[in-house]
Amino acid sequence: MKRYLLRHPGVARLGVILLMLIGWEIAARWFIDPMFISPPSRVLMALGSVFATPNVPAALRLTFFELAVAFALAVIIGVVLGLAVGLSKFGNKTFMPIVLLLYGIPQITILPIFILYFGIGPAAKIAFGVTHGMFPIIMAVVAGVQNIKPILLTSARSMGASNWQILRHVVYPNMIPSLFSGMRLGMTGVLLGVLLAELYVSTGGIGYFTSMFTQNFDPTKLLGLVGILAAMAIALNELVRRGETHFARWRD
Amino acid sequence: MTQAATNTAISVRNVSHSFGEADEARHVKALLDTSLDVTRGELLCLIGPSGCGKSTLLNVMGGLIAPTTGTVMVGDKPVHGPMPNDIAFIFQENALFPWSTIHENMILGMSFQGVPKAERADRAQRALEAVGLDEFAGHYPSQLSGGMRQRAALARALSLETNILLMDEPFGALDEQTRMVLGEDLSVLLSRSKKTIVFVTHSLGEAVFLADRVAVFSARPGTIKEIITVDEPHPRKSAFMTSARFHQQRDQLYDLLHDEIRKSMAQSGKPKRAYEDQSSRAGPAA
Amino acid sequence: MTAQSGARRKWLDRYGSRLVQVAFVAAILLLWHLATTRWGVNKILLPSPLSVWQQFVDVIRKGEFLADLQITLMELAVAFVVATVSGTVVGYVISRSPYLIKVFEPLFAGIYSIPIILFLPLYVLFFGLGPASKIALGITMSFFPVVLSTIAGFGNVDRVLVTAAKSMGASDWQLFRHVLVPAALPVVLSGLRMGFTIALLSIIGSETIASLAGLGHRIVNLAENMDMARMFAYIVFVIIIAVFLNTAVSALDARGKRQR
Repeated sequence: MKRYLLRHPGVARLGVILLMLIGWEIAARWFIDPMFISPPSRVLMALGSVFATPNVPAALRLTFFELAVAFALAVIIGVVLGLAVGLSKFGNKTFMPIVLLLYGIPQITILPIFILYFGIGPAAKIAFGVTHGMFPIIMAVVAGVQNIKPILLTSARSMGASNWQILRHVVYPNMIPSLFSGMRLGMTGVLLGVLLAELYVSTGGIGYFTSMFTQNFDPTKLLGLVGILAAMAIALNELVRRGETHFARWRD
Repeated sequence: MTQAATNTAISVRNVSHSFGEADEARHVKALLDTSLDVTRGELLCLIGPSGCGKSTLLNVMGGLIAPTTGTVMVGDKPVHGPMPNDIAFIFQENALFPWSTIHENMILGMSFQGVPKAERADRAQRALEAVGLDEFAGHYPSQLSGGMRQRAALARALSLETNILLMDEPFGALDEQTRMVLGEDLSVLLSRSKKTIVFVTHSLGEAVFLADRVAVFSARPGTIKEIITVDEPHPRKSAFMTSARFHQQRDQLYDLLHDEIRKSMAQSGKPKRAYEDQSSRAGPAA
Repeated sequence: MTAQSGARRKWLDRYGSRLVQVAFVAAILLLWHLATTRWGVNKILLPSPLSVWQQFVDVIRKGEFLADLQITLMELAVAFVVATVSGTVVGYVISRSPYLIKVFEPLFAGIYSIPIILFLPLYVLFFGLGPASKIALGITMSFFPVVLSTIAGFGNVDRVLVTAAKSMGASDWQLFRHVLVPAALPVVLSGLRMGFTIALLSIIGSETIASLAGLGHRIVNLAENMDMARMFAYIVFVIIIAVFLNTAVSALDARGKRQR
């Protein structure tokens, strides 16, 4: 048994997760006021009733839609701006400090402005997701076009490559792995931005239900809803991570 | 045009090169008033202390660096930039594109050079066979050993079918045994192809084993101090490496180089005195 | 190239970027100003830069920000200290065994990739609207970068360094003090810096979403009262505070890396 666990750390990891769930179950069943927390078994059983709550499925679908659109926009804007900044030395020197400065701002402070400009609907949430997701992608694209080994450029030039060929066959493929790690960080940013905005707007969407469940002291449904959203986030992260491994497979 | 000129593949005239502007702290005089003729079909080795400008000269010859002063001619054409139809490079570092397989690397190189599409696959196959890598065409560079990667780089250069090969310490990052074998293979390959080759190295043995002529550089700012001739037909066999003549020429090279290497080392500090061990362990024996 | 054009190019190299940067910021300020004064953009949507500046001066002079700033900084300090201590201790213990690294590192990395902000409603339910829920969220969010970088830092110390120190007779403590810590420090410090940034972000974020006090709460409050110029002034104030704190932490990070 011990030797088996030593050889399979993944199984031990599952064991750790299981232990944590059991601890949670015991604590929630016998030690903590059920107004505040609910055992995992009960949350699991109640997932159906979360979905049966009127308008919850629609809110979840809308959130997924917002995440997808925000991510797509963040990638497009991030790549375009990243190339614009990264491809010239001057652009990099001039605009990279501005990009870094903007990236360093805690964007959460301007969330009320987004709601003011875009309303409480999906537009504000998408916009807030985009501004969170695009900066890591810009930085990754810039890094990707800048970190080419000089010998590869020299080598391509020595074989007679034109500027366009260098862009297409050297700069572009060199950027891809970096772009995908940027997209992974960008997805994290988009999730943060969209969910922050969702939670902030308590009059509709996910935010309405989380604040309703909180005010009704209904931890079972709240945990269920949070769990569903977390699963959505994990699935999206995993999707981008798979893309990253696939497109960076030539790296040692 | 004179007979000598038609026999000259590359002619270097009074080339000097400095890196950085004259008023900058990083200003380095790499190459000083160097002239050199590379004969058609010969293998010329450039050897010298590190930082002496031998790689700079190679890059100037290939048009990758524009010299501060002086001119370079390839055949009857002055060199102003890369000349992919005349010159192929092999670099010290692995310069294969890591995101492409070996086969794709070769195709890409030929597409840069402008080889018609229909010819590319066939040429790639022949070049890979010549270096014995045809079974690895579908591998990514990261899946090959250092020696195989340099053979792939050689194959890519061969597939460009240029008259001139410029090699910048192509075996520099490899271990001694691999270099020896690759050196022999290279010698065989070249005896068949009649290419003109300029080969930068810091290995005395490699220089004597491969070269028809060896140009010895002085310490920085580098220029050619002397050229010695190695009179041994290609392909060279390993027996040559153990012959008395090989050793005699290697020693001659060593004598030429030794002072220059010391001079070059002195630019970065040198030992002041021997270290004397005063611990008790040294005592009883005395 | 003539000497003169060379000199001009060098000048452009050196100052061109700065010039464009200054022009960029100036252009934005000018557009903002023109939009509010000439082109008649609604004051509710965009207050003029001048009125924002006046409000900013007012906020600073009256010292009205002090109470909110105090709460936010207190939450930040508690959260960051707890996350740092727990993260480095747990991370160090795990890093001592390759097996534990294999068990826990993917687990932590997996949780880290979930947007932990989702737990905020749970924390509000559990800890209430006061500082406790903000501190708890701050700890949860910044624990992971700290623990992951500690594992990475102490888990990847070059074996040659350890062997060399042992061959010279280093004791366990000497090994820890003079080899493991200096070798791991750069990675651990980067993790702490990231943890700090994330703690700051999650605390202002949770104040914005559900709270009774703090800088984030103040901004939302002004937004709800449509007091736009003052809200912009507070946003500027919070950004300045955040940039100042992050810069200070980066400087400490760089200093720690130099002095190891």
